[in-house]
Amino acid sequence: MRSAEGIGANAGDTLSICSLHVGSGLFGIDTRQIREVLGSTAPRRVPLAPPYIAGVLPYRGDVLTTVCFRALLGLEKDSKTNCVLVFDNEENEERFGLMVDGIGGVIAVEPGTLEANPSGLDARSQELFDGAYKLPSGLMVRLDPQRLRPSRLAESGLFGGESGPIGRLKQERQGEQR
Amino acid sequence: MGAGKASDEVRSARPAFCLGLKVVGHEPDKEEVEDLTKEFLAESQEGLERMELCLTELEKRPDDGELVAEIFRAVHTIKGTTGFLGLGRLEKLAHAGESLLGELRDGKLAVSTELVNGLLELMDGLRRILQTIEATGTEGERSSDNDDALLAHLAELKVGGGELRANVDPASLPQGSAQPAPPAVAPGVAAAAGPSMQDKTLRIDVEVLNRMMNLVGELVLTRNQILRCSPGAGNFPELARKLNSVTAELRENVMQARMQPVGYLFRKFPRMVRDLAAMCRRQVRIEFEGQETGLDKSLLEAVRDPLTHAVRNAVDHGIEPPEERAKAGKPAEGVVRMRAYHQSGSVVIEVSDDGAGISTQRVLAKAMERGLVTPEQAASMPQREALQLIFVSGFSTAKQVTSISGRGMGMDVVRTNVEKVGGSVELESQLGSGTTVRMRVPLTLAIVPALVLQSGGQSFALPQNALVELVYVPQREAEQTVERMGTTELYRLREGLLPLVWLDRLLGLEQSADTAKLGFYIAVVESEGCRYGLVVDDLKAPEEIVVKPLSSELREIGVFSGATVLGNGTLALILDVAATGARAGVHPVAEELKLAGAERAQAETAQRELAQIEMESSMVIYETGESGSAEDGEGGRMAMPLSAVERIETVPLRDIEYAGGRAVLQYRGELIPLEDDGNVLHSLAKAEATASAGDAAKEGATATVLICLRPEAHGVRRVGMVVRRVLDVSAGRLLAAHAAACEQQLAMVKDRVTTVHRGFARQAGKPQTAILKEVA
Repeated sequence: MRSAEGIGANAGDTLSICSLHVGSGLFGIDTRQIREVLGSTAPRRVPLAPPYIAGVLPYRGDVLTTVCFRALLGLEKDSKTNCVLVFDNEENEERFGLMVDGIGGVIAVEPGTLEANPSGLDARSQELFDGAYKLPSGLMVRLDPQRLRPSRLAESGLFGGESGPIGRLKQERQGEQR
Repeated sequence: MGAGKASDEVRSARPAFCLGLKVVGHEPDKEEVEDLTKEFLAESQEGLERMELCLTELEKRPDDGELVAEIFRAVHTIKGTTGFLGLGRLEKLAHAGESLLGELRDGKLAVSTELVNGLLELMDGLRRILQTIEATGTEGERSSDNDDALLAHLAELKVGGGELRANVDPASLPQGSAQPAPPAVAPGVAAAAGPSMQDKTLRIDVEVLNRMMNLVGELVLTRNQILRCSPGAGNFPELARKLNSVTAELRENVMQARMQPVGYLFRKFPRMVRDLAAMCRRQVRIEFEGQETGLDKSLLEAVRDPLTHAVRNAVDHGIEPPEERAKAGKPAEGVVRMRAYHQSGSVVIEVSDDGAGISTQRVLAKAMERGLVTPEQAASMPQREALQLIFVSGFSTAKQVTSISGRGMGMDVVRTNVEKVGGSVELESQLGSGTTVRMRVPLTLAIVPALVLQSGGQSFALPQNALVELVYVPQREAEQTVERMGTTELYRLREGLLPLVWLDRLLGLEQSADTAKLGFYIAVVESEGCRYGLVVDDLKAPEEIVVKPLSSELREIGVFSGATVLGNGTLALILDVAATGARAGVHPVAEELKLAGAERAQAETAQRELAQIEMESSMVIYETGESGSAEDGEGGRMAMPLSAVERIETVPLRDIEYAGGRAVLQYRGELIPLEDDGNVLHSLAKAEATASAGDAAKEGATATVLICLRPEAHGVRRVGMVVRRVLDVSAGRLLAAHAAACEQQLAMVKDRVTTVHRGFARQAGKPQTAILKEVA
């Protein structure tokens, strides 16, 4: 690790990364990509939405769709989780939010410490993670907000969703059971 | 040259203007020029649009000096600004056009098709340069970007008065001579290419803007007052009221400012139709109706392309060539009619033609060829459904592909675009007499009145326009009111059966415990022909909600049409009534609903009701005269359709009065005649007389009266039937008139002949026989 930092050398290139806690993991997002951090908010749940959608929030006169990162990682939903990061979707200017357990702080890292996703990663993680920074304290998984866009998550089809015919069938079953 | 006086004046005026700027020592910086250019582009586009309209008009009314002046003004305005902005190429072209128009205005030239074509070409030329400026910021320096040919053509027109080119086929004219010009449909295509500067700007009356500013000022003042207001202050309600009224007014104003007349959209069509007609060798006239209909600016832009497609289709595919029209006995000139009007919260824009119509046979043949439907399906497909196939992507019935349309794109694009803004497209076609494309778009997307309701602990907004009525069901009645048919739960709403949709179950929400205690509400909703009862836990206040779109992933769920922020700051999802119903599977029940609806109507008019008793129906069987009396052995056993009986009343004999020898009864404030076929009243009176003689019992005798609805020539009339006693209510079936039937209408009950009361069969003078089956 030391050596890697040494090679990366150029002090002007350090990136400021915002660290996030989700479950027991540490994640990081480039601060330049974050539009705003909202603390203590409870998104309004949307019935029948895919499981990775935490809900919607009023934000600057618009409705912000929020992705639940815990759900993406396959963790149980935690009622305490309430920090939402707001990102701008570059493609069609549609904003979205990401709900995480908590925000750590801003860390300066050397770009040289970034390691690409290892090949052994499962498909879901391949889809979500964008490499990892080797910090002295451990790994910090880098996230690319553009990969976490709700539309992209829906396209990937890896994270389930109730909008398909199977989901609808499931819903109907539930309805009947009640 | 001999250019008009006015243009000379302008030329002298312009340098003075520039000079003026220089004197002040203010060289416009880059940003300023950019702003000016933007403004200039929007203004010029508008000018050109007006010019286009005037030019097509000019062809019809060549002597209208006002039109020429208008066109002149448009070109002149462009020229005036170009010099200032340093747009040499545009200036040169505009100048050439202006001098030509000057000649025309001064009466030195006469209006001819060639001249109008030339001017249209000029206009296209100007528009092309404007587009280049908008796209690249320059006038275009490439060698292809030169207007020499056009300039030469204009000069030619000016000198020769158009005579030189008289031999040219008018159909090829819009193409221009040696022009590198795109085909004549270019204006439409260009408009479809993407939002131009003009689409992004909006002209607002300064008066409206001033009013808006005043209101904003008032809003700020009110806010200040509220901020200063201590909690629990006495004037708070008043401030809140004020805030409310200011907000409402401001909203009204902003909405108004966004409203644009549809006519603004129609403007480009005369030219388009003219050019298209020339290319396809058709004679087409375009007519407009309801141009003043207002529509939200954003929606106006959304229907622009669909309308273009529809008009193009109408001219190319709809209207037949003049010879064919003559053969069909229609005037050689076809008509494309564009009509806009308001209809229940939406704006309808129709494009109709009086052309050949769409052949369903051909549509089906094509669909089979493409494997969209099987021959069996095609054979049984109703016409309306077959027409809908046209909306399938890549579908075109045109025999040959022309440069204008027929490439198999169009109708699907029309539909996608209109649906994107929450509208719908309908297609109507009558083979031989024309086609109508009807687009329905919401008036505005912004604000709708809605009812906020609660289910499973969450708030939802239900648009008021879908709401029919509300029913509260207390818990103690819940068990009885909800009835089941298979898996469907139904509620008996007056005469009809209403399928119920439990919102919390449908959405997979937790059922709140309160429901069990308090009962529930049924919101009777109706949308797109589908009617059902939406069961919710609680109703909140009606609110005017601001509709916010959901992201596409959430729209895909289909049940929600948007979200809104409620008064208490929380978000509520807006329910899409039709989609919710479809998801709950209410659609198949739609047929049942129609029946239920028929039943309801039936109750209202006994006329129709009685027409149905032919089939399975219940009958009231009663006795008139004394049982076992000599006159008729069966004691006057009679039958009457139950549906005709409103009530069975027990009336004290003394309440029955006589008017002119006829028995009448005052019944609910109405005087109804009584019919006493079996002389029941008489015998009752006799019996009472003997009874009262025997023991002085106060309680008078009573008569049983059937209050019936009898159909008559002018509606329905209430009559009372005095009967001895009601025997039974039995299911039976009326059969068609029997040959043996005499004056009386007979029926069989328990293997005995029973008379159906006259006047209650389907038609007077058409006796009917009923066979009443005994009910076990």
